[in-house]
Amino acid sequence: MRTLSCTDSDEGARSQDEGSPSSSNGAEVLRRDPLNKKVVLLVQFLLQKYKKREPITKADMLKFVIKRYKYHFNEILKRASEHMELAFGVDLKEVDPVRHCYTLVNKLDLTFDGTMHEEENMPKTGLLMIVLGVIFMKGSCAPEEEVWEVLNMMGVYAERKHFIYGEPKKVITQDLVQLKYLEYRQLHGDPPRYEFLWGPRARAEITSKRKLEVNATILGAFPSHYEKALREEEESLWNRCSQSGIYCNG
Amino acid sequence: MEEGRAERRRRTEALSHPQGGTRRAGVMTDVHRRFLQLLMTHGVLEEWDVRRLQKHCYRVHDRTGAVEELEDFINNINSVLESLYIEIKKGATEDDGRPVYALVNLATTSVSKMASDFAENELDLFRKALELIIDSDTGFASSTNILNLVDQLKGKKMRKKEAEQVLQKFVQNKWLIEKEGEFTLHSRAILEMEQYIRETYPDAVKICNICHSLLIQGQSCETCGIRMHLPCVAKYFQPSLEPRCPHCNDYWPHEIPEVFDPEKEREAGPSKVSKRSLRSRQH
Repeated sequence: MRTLSCTDSDEGARSQDEGSPSSSNGAEVLRRDPLNKKVVLLVQFLLQKYKKREPITKADMLKFVIKRYKYHFNEILKRASEHMELAFGVDLKEVDPVRHCYTLVNKLDLTFDGTMHEEENMPKTGLLMIVLGVIFMKGSCAPEEEVWEVLNMMGVYAERKHFIYGEPKKVITQDLVQLKYLEYRQLHGDPPRYEFLWGPRARAEITSKRKLEVNATILGAFPSHYEKALREEEESLWNRCSQSGIYCNG
Repeated sequence: MEEGRAERRRRTEALSHPQGGTRRAGVMTDVHRRFLQLLMTHGVLEEWDVRRLQKHCYRVHDRTGAVEELEDFINNINSVLESLYIEIKKGATEDDGRPVYALVNLATTSVSKMASDFAENELDLFRKALELIIDSDTGFASSTNILNLVDQLKGKKMRKKEAEQVLQKFVQNKWLIEKEGEFTLHSRAILEMEQYIRETYPDAVKICNICHSLLIQGQSCETCGIRMHLPCVAKYFQPSLEPRCPHCNDYWPHEIPEVFDPEKEREAGPSKVSKRSLRSRQH
């Protein structure tokens, strides 16, 4: 069983030729390349951050992973990003060059051809987009029952485990709320009812163009009053983005 | 490239693939990448779901391509992940032998793979539960016994009520399984932590006589004490009419479970009927 010693003493770590992760000949050249171990650990670190959608800072990377090798940060980061891209289809992008903040972007969504008709053709973020789309159509908030109506049409049910989303109810009422993409509010009355709203992070991150794409596939058509509402929303979103300095790519 | 003096340490690499020295370089396409992303999100998946996932990824990224045989598909991905010390590992549930797959990180050998999701005292609670499970004869630790250890936890003080909820969190995140108020390791934990467990508890750890992997739940010979996983028992004794211990040849006294049959499972439908718990208790 392969192991990788995790002590910080960084003795000559066994490594493989960088750039050819699986060499096709039997003899492997063992070079002294302690950076490789750091690259591996950084990839693990980035994967954790990606799973939890947490922001990534250079400071954190230096503190928790790079440590003594801080003068090689750029090289280690570059190699780790290459691995992330090759193996996972995830891009590391620097979003704030002053404070050295990075984010991980799923390249695969961009190559997705957008045929969202069947249940099985939705990526995980698609679930969020559908919910956001329903809320957007209703105005600023949507009752939970209506959200489920739309999801049910796509074969996603509250009480049934989904082979991509896992537990959809948990995803939309807990996970996405915790990540601040959605808000889940209880309404007055008995028995208790709930409604969904856009969370602060959705408002910051989702561009209007993406919204249009999602809603087009849900509705199948653009009623004219809906088009007007979209245009107004787009303007106000653009204004908010410019004011807060968040970069919006339309 | 090196900083300071480094000790050279010779390591031999165990070649684990059948072709001996040569290794086909893996080719990753977006099909494989999407699969990897989704598998990573789930943590662990049963084989049936894994096959559906694979087909889904082909449908999204490569509609016209032929779906690669699952084993080759996974080996392909693993060959690219090898240099990252990550692997898609295949295992089986200990109670009924369902094949499961998990994306396993080989670089960190400790419970720290859970570290980003849990606080220090929660991780220590897991360690305590883990120890009780490994030391137990049945592979199960009772809720009571685990909760009695809350005073010994590192980090912030935890009350029993809180600890109960943390245990439920472990169950939800597929690190532990609960059955009738007792806890054992989820197949995910076994896949991810086998190495750590074998290194940390070399004396207490139990090994299956048939497959030589870590054993938490299983049956044991009452004469010589060797142990076997339930699915290993099922496979080993399947053809025989009079089951005998492979080690001491004494009569095997326990009920022989059935071999897991994925076809039968599919007929039962996606709503999974509660599994027969063939946990055999040793007294």
